[in-house]
Amino acid sequence: MPDLRPMLPELFLFAWAIVVLLFGISRKERSGDSLIYLTLVGLVITGILVPIAGYGNLFGGTFVVDKFAAFFQIVFLLAAFFAVASSHELMKKLSADRGEFFALILLSTTGMMLLASTLELITLYVSLELTTIPLFVLAAYRKDQLGSSEAGLKYLILGAVSSAILLYGISLVYGLTGTTFLQPAMSRLIEQSVPMLLASGNVNMALVMAIVMMVAGFGFKLALVPFHMWAPDVYEGAPTPITSFLSVASKGAGVVAIARVFYTALPAFHDVHWGTLVAVLAAAAMIVGNITAVLQSNIKRMLAFSSIAHAGYVMVGFVALPQGSIVPPYGPASLLFYMMAYLFANMGAFACVIAFEKNYGSYQIKDYQGLSKNSPGLAIIMTLFLLSLAGIPPLAGFMAKYYVFLAGWQQFPWLVIVGLLTSVIALFYYANIIMQMYFSRGETSLTKAHYDRPLILTLILTAVGTVAVGIYPEPILRFATEAVKVFPF
Amino acid sequence: MELAIFILTSLVAIVAALLVILQRNPIASVMYLVTTFVAQAILFIQLRAAFIAILQVIVYAGAIMVLFLFVIMLLNLRREDFGKDIKLRFKPLAIAFAMVLLIETLVVINASLVPAQPGADLSATFGSVQGVGKELFTTYLYPFELTSVLLIVAILGAVVMAKKKL
Repeated sequence: MPDLRPMLPELFLFAWAIVVLLFGISRKERSGDSLIYLTLVGLVITGILVPIAGYGNLFGGTFVVDKFAAFFQIVFLLAAFFAVASSHELMKKLSADRGEFFALILLSTTGMMLLASTLELITLYVSLELTTIPLFVLAAYRKDQLGSSEAGLKYLILGAVSSAILLYGISLVYGLTGTTFLQPAMSRLIEQSVPMLLASGNVNMALVMAIVMMVAGFGFKLALVPFHMWAPDVYEGAPTPITSFLSVASKGAGVVAIARVFYTALPAFHDVHWGTLVAVLAAAAMIVGNITAVLQSNIKRMLAFSSIAHAGYVMVGFVALPQGSIVPPYGPASLLFYMMAYLFANMGAFACVIAFEKNYGSYQIKDYQGLSKNSPGLAIIMTLFLLSLAGIPPLAGFMAKYYVFLAGWQQFPWLVIVGLLTSVIALFYYANIIMQMYFSRGETSLTKAHYDRPLILTLILTAVGTVAVGIYPEPILRFATEAVKVFPF
Repeated sequence: MELAIFILTSLVAIVAALLVILQRNPIASVMYLVTTFVAQAILFIQLRAAFIAILQVIVYAGAIMVLFLFVIMLLNLRREDFGKDIKLRFKPLAIAFAMVLLIETLVVINASLVPAQPGADLSATFGSVQGVGKELFTTYLYPFELTSVLLIVAILGAVVMAKKKL
């Protein structure tokens, strides 16, 4: 029996998911409050267990916890925490299956945590499925709403197709190397496997095929352009807490997986094979995401397109690898930092959308008119999140964009210029909502807005996170810099 | 002899695969799919991958096809449901992309053709039932166990989705 200590958080979270499931079945209560608190307690304990369990390597390298894994585990746990805390309103609308709802969120989070901590391709694939299969169900959870079922079905079909493409890429990597373990030696194995091709033009066609397939597969999870088609419909149709979870945690899962594979096994091929490819996709995501977001009238769709654009910004940090003498400042650490900043701002913005929908029953941007008069607190906090997403100093989003652009500048100056220009477009649609809230005269609502306690907790924590990470980014940046040292470059 | 078998089986596999998508009747499609799977199993045997060939027959041609047939039977399609042409808005675009992918694949296969070294670096048990079983319960024990968690999740999700009363 191996010492399972490094696996403790995942094992606990899995067990807790089963506890929540059984609790939900045994107690038929009307509100679902106790389930929310039970789930939150489980997530907090798991978060405490992450540093206690420490780092380690189990099962011959199929389970590896290092700083990189720990960083993303915290990101996933925070995302799950905020998503669960903001689903009080949803619970009131569901008449049954509340325990299953939270159990599925916890199981998906377990999958993400396992995904972050593996260096083996088959395990990576199984954990990725463990991450997404609960999300298909969660997206379709409002069975009484057509949009929700549509979201679930679309997500299921495109998720299955993207998994198949990803598997094909993985099988090609296995064919080229003869091993499924991600290791620095993989590059050498690939070079040996088709030696004569390297002599002619330095481009290994089978490797190109493998990389293209894997980028496409992970691109679906990240909602990068042109693999983003599912995102707006799924984000719009899914229950809003799930949308927020999808937009941060599911994207984070894609980032973790692509970083593990490409940073560990393929950094040697960055120059010729995948650097420019991913950079072009990132540019496309920033352009398409930001321009289409301007045209949206539904706030959930707008945030969906904005999250596509943010996937582009994240990928700017992703391609900034140290190459030979070029060592970009921050480099891949900026990618990790961006995820953390994006987590707080985006989860917070979605919590505001939930709070608004609860009180005013609408997802339309035009209905935000005059919100500053009816609920000044909500308007202020929403403004904060939108400004952070737009990248206004001194908030977290600004620091994140600053690090990402600084990292990308040396190798891909054109990409950074695209990023800066599209940020201006982004400011336009974020500012539009702020204008609606403050400077448009809306109907004065007579009823006082009401917020439930877990939602207030989410709003406060995400707002504090957004401000704190922006003003004092050093600790997170330092941890991110330490975390990317696990990679061989 | 081996080459003749290979050509014959591949032809059967390709023709049957085409018939799968060209048939209007879903039952006929499923039957051609079984043919494709069996032909693929023979190809696997030719590659000395007996275990995968057996899995191909048992899992795909057997279990999964039975599931397909059951679903089609439960859907209870009538003849007039088969007749409708599916309108594809982006048909020319789809064909163009498919052709690009096909040519790309051919280029890659052509470029990757390396003189084969039979049995290089492979142990005698590679791909056999014994070899796969040993790998599964030693090197890949953890992902193997992880699939059981995946099954729980899938069952849970299916029950939640299929339950009538909400």
